[in-house]
Amino acid sequence: MKIFKWMLQIKLTLLLVAVAALGGAAYWFFAVRNKPKIEVSAGKIDRIQTMVRLSSMDIYNEVPVVDTINNKVICAVQKQRGSISFDIEQLQVDTVGDTVRIVLPREIVELYESTEPDAWEVIDTKAVGPMAFLHSGKLSAGEENAIKRRIAAKSRRELYRNGTVKRARTEAAQNLTQFAEKIYQRPVVVTIDATQH
Amino acid sequence: MKFVRNIIAVLMSVPKVLMPGLMSVLVVLVAAGCSQPNHSALYQELKSTNKLVLASMAIKKTVIQENPEVFLLGKRVAVYSFDTYMQAYINLSELEEGDLVFDEDNRRVTVTLPPVHTELAGRDMQMRKVYENIGLLRADLDSKERAWMKEKGSASLRREVEKNPEFRKQLEESARNKARSYFESLMAEQGYTADVRFRDE
Repeated sequence: MKIFKWMLQIKLTLLLVAVAALGGAAYWFFAVRNKPKIEVSAGKIDRIQTMVRLSSMDIYNEVPVVDTINNKVICAVQKQRGSISFDIEQLQVDTVGDTVRIVLPREIVELYESTEPDAWEVIDTKAVGPMAFLHSGKLSAGEENAIKRRIAAKSRRELYRNGTVKRARTEAAQNLTQFAEKIYQRPVVVTIDATQH
Repeated sequence: MKFVRNIIAVLMSVPKVLMPGLMSVLVVLVAAGCSQPNHSALYQELKSTNKLVLASMAIKKTVIQENPEVFLLGKRVAVYSFDTYMQAYINLSELEEGDLVFDEDNRRVTVTLPPVHTELAGRDMQMRKVYENIGLLRADLDSKERAWMKEKGSASLRREVEKNPEFRKQLEESARNKARSYFESLMAEQGYTADVRFRDE
């Protein structure tokens, strides 16, 4: 009887060891061996562009993103950086009497993703719609890019709607007046292009 | 910010039939959390500047993610790239009266410009898919993985820009050349020959 009990204990111990070994192997396979390797190339200068742009406003936005594409929803937070500037190589300049008249060209609104950590933070994605259980909630790179184009367009519209662009134009006109008066050594009047909206 | 993020996460877990109603609640909550109603941004900071941007550089980063090949399941390799933009500018508010010295007799002008600064202006919102090889039985890449790849690429670029002065040097040189040619032609239009210098040269 005692031997039987002793044998049972050995068997149980062996079983436990086998289960632990299998668990360890599974963990190694899925968590350690299967861990993705990331390789980042050295930064390569793609192009250098020269310009003369008067930048009157720096923008920093943090926007929540809940958007749907092809029956998939993405929930994320994006940090944006941007600026409102004016190409002063395109200035229209003329002189009336002693005064220099300058027309400010149309603004250039640039919006990028910030280079700060976690500038594009994905919280969740999921499938929606009547057949949601049949398809994956994962967005393809193309779908994600389409969503990001929509985010940029929406943020740009918001800058016009909330008066930021108008404020940038006014400040650019003031800054340009001061700058041009030093250059021309005459009174300068800067006006904003009437065709701008 | 965390509060709103939690609300969004909760909304994502509710049954889809309740989504339209709850989305309206989210919009109201986000709007209520901001000082201006209907403001789409969680946070917005506007800074007035007086910069003359003279050059911009696009720096390309390529990120490769590779999971080990699993027998019968196949490979899982993804290569994505994106550009980050660095710009060089002078601060016009640092330009003083004495920085432009006119010599009317010889029709010459000496222009002393403020130092050229550089900064990272931002990165592309979109990522370019360069290559993907995902085995039939392997999981597709998801948005979180792509965000993680971009994060790794950005962190690497920030370190590179800090350690390697080459990017900055090239950009500053282009900006100085552009400033010289711009001010020379601007002064030529007024009938002056310009000698353009930089305060830190």
